Amino acid sequence: MKKEKSRKYRTLQILRIAVQTAFFGLFLYLFIGAHYTGRDYIDSTVQRFFHFDPLLALVTLVSARILYASFLFALITVVATVVFGRFFCGWVCPLGAVHQFFSFVFKKAKALRPTREERTSLAGKYFILIAVLAAALLGLDLAGYLDPFSFLTRSFAVAVFPGLAYALSSLKGAFYGVGLTSAGRSISQLLENWTLNETFLQGFAVGLFFLGAVALNARKERFWCRYLCPTGALLGLLARRNVVKLTIDGEKCIKCGLCSQHCETQAEPYPSEKWRSGECVYCQTCAAICPTGAISFPLKLAAAKTADASNVNLSRRKVLLTTFLGFAAVPFFRLTPAHKRASLKLLRPPGALPEPKFLAKCVKCGQCMRACPTNGLQPALAEAGPEGIYTPMLVPKIGYCEYYCSLCTQVCPTGALRKLTIEEKNQVKLGTAWVNKSRCIPYVLGKPCIVCEEHCPVSPKAIRLVEVETKLPDGRIVTQKAPVINIEACIGCGICENKCPVSDDPAIFVTSVGETRSEKNRLLLEVAGDTSSDPYK
Amino acid sequence: MKRRDFLTGLAVGGAVLPWTARSLGARPASPAQAPQLAAVEGESPALITREAVAALGGMKRFIGRGDKVLIKPNIGWDRTPELAGCTNPEVVRALVELAQEAGAKSVTVIDNSTNQAKRCYVRSGILDAVKATGASMPYVDETRVKKTDLKGEWLKEWDVLLDVLEADKIINVPIAKHHSLCRLTMGMKNWLGALGGARNQLHQNLDRAMVDLAAYFKPTLTVLDAYRILVRNGPQGGRPSDTKLVKTVVAGTDAVAVDAMGASFFDVRPQELLYLKLAQDRGLGTMEWEKLRLEKRKI
Repeated sequence: MKKEKSRKYRTLQILRIAVQTAFFGLFLYLFIGAHYTGRDYIDSTVQRFFHFDPLLALVTLVSARILYASFLFALITVVATVVFGRFFCGWVCPLGAVHQFFSFVFKKAKALRPTREERTSLAGKYFILIAVLAAALLGLDLAGYLDPFSFLTRSFAVAVFPGLAYALSSLKGAFYGVGLTSAGRSISQLLENWTLNETFLQGFAVGLFFLGAVALNARKERFWCRYLCPTGALLGLLARRNVVKLTIDGEKCIKCGLCSQHCETQAEPYPSEKWRSGECVYCQTCAAICPTGAISFPLKLAAAKTADASNVNLSRRKVLLTTFLGFAAVPFFRLTPAHKRASLKLLRPPGALPEPKFLAKCVKCGQCMRACPTNGLQPALAEAGPEGIYTPMLVPKIGYCEYYCSLCTQVCPTGALRKLTIEEKNQVKLGTAWVNKSRCIPYVLGKPCIVCEEHCPVSPKAIRLVEVETKLPDGRIVTQKAPVINIEACIGCGICENKCPVSDDPAIFVTSVGETRSEKNRLLLEVAGDTSSDPYK
Repeated sequence: MKRRDFLTGLAVGGAVLPWTARSLGARPASPAQAPQLAAVEGESPALITREAVAALGGMKRFIGRGDKVLIKPNIGWDRTPELAGCTNPEVVRALVELAQEAGAKSVTVIDNSTNQAKRCYVRSGILDAVKATGASMPYVDETRVKKTDLKGEWLKEWDVLLDVLEADKIINVPIAKHHSLCRLTMGMKNWLGALGGARNQLHQNLDRAMVDLAAYFKPTLTVLDAYRILVRNGPQGGRPSDTKLVKTVVAGTDAVAVDAMGASFFDVRPQELLYLKLAQDRGLGTMEWEKLRLEKRKI
């Protein structure tokens, strides 16, 4: 008997690595592409990855009760998984690629080598999935926190790339310091060209979560995929009766156990009757490393009866309990004043649906924050209540809403931000600006300023100047031009707040009242919507 | 030598020297009677720019072989040319080409924009126009600045872009626009875009800051784009109806006179602009532009 590794499966394994790398590269390319490229509209659809994700499709459909046509792509994934198994996890998922890469690295590094004990239950991710689906039934969208695309995109947008930009800036400074000016300049031009934002409110936490998720691979290979990923769980359930079945040639097998030891996802290739069809991601590792080439993955139409039995046992009792927990958690997410009254500082990006629908659709992926040219879109923490953690909000102190830009609405994968043309976007009011007369330079210091007025992008301007008298400490009275808001023209873009020279707590600021998307958060009953009567003509 | 004699000598020498230099023909490209101010009206922004520079004696009068030239347009806003928020791209392009034809070693175009820099560079049309010439147009790097002693009367020191400091010759190419604080923004106000730091604080004493900056930067040439001027809602406008077609480019060596003549397009008398008066008092130039050697052409 020949003792030889299978060359075919070694090739397939290399092919799998190549495909994974390609998909990760594509993901990265699309991710970086989500910025102002020089044209108003982005061609490359960065959100396409999300549309193939059945978990996001299902949860968005169930929680928002809206069918978003782009999610029909997810049907392809569903059918492919039912027929061929979890190839998606092993070959396509970019977060899977990240985890597999680091598992490989940790495996090579002796000190960090993951343990091989395989006793931990794989059921965790299924219970996470059940809880997420149960919550979705009551309109609560929790999918985004652990969905691999949301998790990866958010981590990249809010932490990894900002961290990279920070590192590049530091490197640039070092280059300038040692006189390598042209190298430094290339970096500064790159940072501007790709709009690599550097400032994020939750960057610290999101970054640490990402590092944690990567570090877990030192505990168990592809820890995330085994124990946490709800999308993997959903695909696992779909894949149980697929036709690509692991088979071990009993004559060749020397029962060395290498296959089970090196299985990335604890699918237990040996003995083949115990192989878990719902866990295998077809990475081809077992077949490639088998010293006798005994393992193969032939297509078997007849569903092996044993396969399902060996899969993760989800006892009815536990499923019911988790479902109940999913339901029971919903009210706790809602015990927040955010439902009584609009939050003062919660300025949603343009195109945002009314708050309840928005929360039901937003998957917290942070792509809008990646695309924002001014870094103004930030992940919320407490501003939108517990279910709004990581949802986007405009923080004018950090960045304002660029008048002719609608990129955030173009890259939203779920339609939580409705896609807007520039013309449509110009009609949207995010909130209303207010002047704090006790801090405003002309009002209180009697000095000229007008900075807010000159930056106001609408024409005629929403900030008008009036002459005001100010009494100075020495009793003199001076007259200066000072800003007043024309509320009907104000679109709440926040550039006034952003550029106000009173930098710590701007003397002009935007709050959400009057935002177009909300009927409850209205300010004036009769807002003259059209400014067709041109005051200059 | 007595102090008085010394001063007299200085005054006499100062008065005689320029004439001697001219009569000796030290700068053949600059004839003694070359105009100090040129205003050209016409349909093509590029052609009237070229004509205006030609009327002053040609770009060779200002730019020598091997010069590092910096061209400073106004690219402050995310506005397209028909909104007259930024300098006309064809005017900028014509100047870049003229500088290159005059033998400049390198030409750099830069402005510290107010909106996102890339949006301003692209949508003003200036990035494409400059790219076509092969000149460089870098985005401002906020860390590539130098705290500079401006020797100003009010503005003592401020961060200035290194790209500007490193240039041998500077051509200022502003656009004429309405502004709520200094009333009109043209050449002297344009220097705020050559600065880093919290420029918006300069508004607390804008006229004086503008004069101090104009005294510091001393451009070789000022070319005012008044092809389409912004008459209201400045300095960024927003609707074509905020603009007015004047179809003129004013070029000059006297930065004060260029701005003073620019004011006439808005029917504003130079005396009404505080910064022009202050600049004239400082000896930066004259706001009585009609009294200069003026070349007016229409093509």
